Amino acid sequence: MADPVVHVAELTKIYKVPEREAGLRAAAKALFKRQTRDVRAVEAISFDVGPGEIVGFLGPNGAGKTTSLKMLAGLLYPTTGEARVLGHIPSKREREYLRRMTMVMGNRNQLQWDIPAMDSFELNRAIYRLQREDYVAMRDELIELLDVGDLVRKPVRNLSLGERMKVEIVGALLHRPQVLFLDEPTIGLDVTMQKRIRMFIAEYNRRHGATVLLTSHYMADVEALCKRVIVIHHGRILFDGALASLADEFAAYKTIGVVLENGGAPLDAYGEVVHHEGDRVALRVPKAETSRVAARLLADHEVLDLTIEEPPIEDVIESVFAQSAPQ
Amino acid sequence: MSVDVARLPEAGRWRSLFDFYVTTMRTAVASQLQYRVTNYFYMLGMIAEPVVYLVVWTTIAKDQGGAVNGITTGEFAAYYIVWTLVRNMNIVFGAPFWEYRIREGRLAGDLLKPMYILHYDLAYFAGWKFVVVAMWLPIAVGLSAVFHPTLNPTPLEIVVFIIAIWGAYLVRSMFQGTIGMLNFWTTRGAAVFDLYMAIEMLLSGRLVPLQLMPGWVQTLANFLPFKWTFGFPIEALVGNLSTQDLLLGLCAQALWIGIGLLLFKVAWSHAIKRFVSVGN
Amino acid sequence: MNTLRVSWLFLKIGVINELQYRVNFFVQLLQSIIQIGTALVMLALVYSHTNELNGWSQAELLSLIGVQVLLGGFIHTFIQPNMQRLMEDVQQGTLDYALTKPEDSQLLISVRMVRMWQVVEIVSGLVLLIVGLTGVQNSIGVGDAVAFGIALMIGGVLVYCFWLVMTTGAFWVVRMENVLELFEGIYQTGRWPVTVYPGWLRYSVTFLVPIGFAVTVPAEALTSRLQWPTLVFALGFGVAVFAFTRWFWHWGLRHYSGASA
Repeated sequence: MADPVVHVAELTKIYKVPEREAGLRAAAKALFKRQTRDVRAVEAISFDVGPGEIVGFLGPNGAGKTTSLKMLAGLLYPTTGEARVLGHIPSKREREYLRRMTMVMGNRNQLQWDIPAMDSFELNRAIYRLQREDYVAMRDELIELLDVGDLVRKPVRNLSLGERMKVEIVGALLHRPQVLFLDEPTIGLDVTMQKRIRMFIAEYNRRHGATVLLTSHYMADVEALCKRVIVIHHGRILFDGALASLADEFAAYKTIGVVLENGGAPLDAYGEVVHHEGDRVALRVPKAETSRVAARLLADHEVLDLTIEEPPIEDVIESVFAQSAPQ
Repeated sequence: MSVDVARLPEAGRWRSLFDFYVTTMRTAVASQLQYRVTNYFYMLGMIAEPVVYLVVWTTIAKDQGGAVNGITTGEFAAYYIVWTLVRNMNIVFGAPFWEYRIREGRLAGDLLKPMYILHYDLAYFAGWKFVVVAMWLPIAVGLSAVFHPTLNPTPLEIVVFIIAIWGAYLVRSMFQGTIGMLNFWTTRGAAVFDLYMAIEMLLSGRLVPLQLMPGWVQTLANFLPFKWTFGFPIEALVGNLSTQDLLLGLCAQALWIGIGLLLFKVAWSHAIKRFVSVGN
Repeated sequence: MNTLRVSWLFLKIGVINELQYRVNFFVQLLQSIIQIGTALVMLALVYSHTNELNGWSQAELLSLIGVQVLLGGFIHTFIQPNMQRLMEDVQQGTLDYALTKPEDSQLLISVRMVRMWQVVEIVSGLVLLIVGLTGVQNSIGVGDAVAFGIALMIGGVLVYCFWLVMTTGAFWVVRMENVLELFEGIYQTGRWPVTVYPGWLRYSVTFLVPIGFAVTVPAEALTSRLQWPTLVFALGFGVAVFAFTRWFWHWGLRHYSGASA
């Protein structure tokens, strides 16, 4: 692809974590000899992101998503490897770079607590050195898009969690950054609010072409927004590609749903009976066997209806995450 | 769509900085006005200290026939009442605030913005001072009614005083801000801070007017920053410093602001490296 | 008695907990040294300009400071941690955990925390006190020592009551964090004999914030200044204040339980 916006090569982050066992004797020993353990939070990950892409990072807690994002935002030094965003090295924290990017962290407030959000926006205007007309135009556009017009004059501490998140997003985008790092932006929000924020991100990306890197452990976020998904677990990339092909790669089985003429016939021989209610039976069969089993069913029974389904994405992801760390 | 986002043009650097300071100071005033009760409680607790010193020295002065080392009871009262204003100006972004900033995770947010961190703190606390001074005025009136200070400043002294209290604010901001960064390396900085505070208390004119200290202490105090954060501003208004002394004092403040700023910059570059390698 | 058993249990747990953090010991030691150092410097400074302060000689004043530090250590070890915890509980609504236990609520919230390493402060206060007493003219009789013990206990109880009444105020005025700084500031008044302060201040520091009773009276006992009527009055005052505190605590609790949604 032409000059990627984000370029990551063999990026690694290793933490030294002090270790101490319980008990008095261990505590005394610990005073003289510090024992540390290496935690490999991110292990040689590599990927490129092009302009205007929305990429989702999926992974369970502790997978390394936030660590990766923080390295790209310049909040963490990588241990080894290379990262470049918009041509800058993030850990150098150049002012030029900081003006072209933004990071929004779910559950963390960057706006001033006691004053209306509008006043915090003014502060950001000065920090990012925006011309007044540009600032007002962008601010009003964001306020309208997120529908927070009546919220921006209330002190931030009086807003609900979801409302707070919306005004935080406005504050973070006033300087029209080219790259957005969103770390769990919908965490803790109710379903309606999650949908609103997803819609906003999609619309913002459509209007301004900003590149978005988003982490989440909510499948719905990723399904709604990201054509491309990177699955991270134990610090490694397990999958990088279109969401649609995720199931192809990882799903080990498919589900065959049958409605039989003479329901009640035992179908154990064909596969694992997951669900049996009256005439309807759901069978789980290994992926490779699907067509063969379906054919046999059609041949051996009076089938009124037959469907073949991919497993729900959540189950796929769950099985991916269930893999234990490589030793 | 893969259009690269159009960059927004930037306003001038100095204009933006001035803008930032004014906006932040306004924000600080608005926020702190909501915490009137908290601020008052804090101030009331603070005046216990100078009142105790004042009472003790007044007692001694009365025993000694009205003055100690030439300082009359009225002058002691003036010293310690002005003390309360200077003490308030001395509250800056130090260790407890650094700890709060790191612990509450606000540091990451500040680091994501393209502004040098010192500006946030200097601007915010400067704004806060206006609220503090406004709240201090009735307390000063009350204390004056009780302790009858003698105070006859010349116009020059008043002007120098007003400059000096802001100079003191800046000096102390640099040094306290620097020391507060110890929080990046240890959570046990308390002992070091206490040591700093104890030395500062003795050598700054906070405990007693420096005139009452033995000669060698007074000489030592001239070569350390503490006197310029506390004793000098008070003496500028209350004492009888010559014009030369007043101006030399302001120069000394400027010098210490410079030294402090240098220390701050060095410390911060190390602190950032530490934070960014260890994370939050 | 159950009260003693519960108190002992919490004390044990607190100590075992804190023993893990030996670094705290050195930190506390350094802090106490600094504290004593500053006090001694101020003392030397005062007495370089005078021979006696309101009738108190330097050695006697040193004993007074010793009592103040000793009592301060007691406050920081046993009283303050509990009151801080209580304030946090009220603010965050976690007080219910303490209230649903089958023990007297006042007892529970008063003994569950202990900051063990502050004991260093108690010890340093004791050291100052003893050093001061060696320089005092009159020798101390048994009566004086007994009076001292009683006065000190009353002082401890009074300070505890004051703290609890202040903290109970948190039931109504939820933001009370600055009470702590307020107290530390006012506690410094205890470093000097209460007689030094002008009328209204002396009154406040004796009755409103009972530092005077807590520090000066025990010191007076040791320096043979204490009059029996004063001690008896202090005893009566202590009992009355304790009764009021307990009543106020329960009143606050009722308000808390009624008000919480």
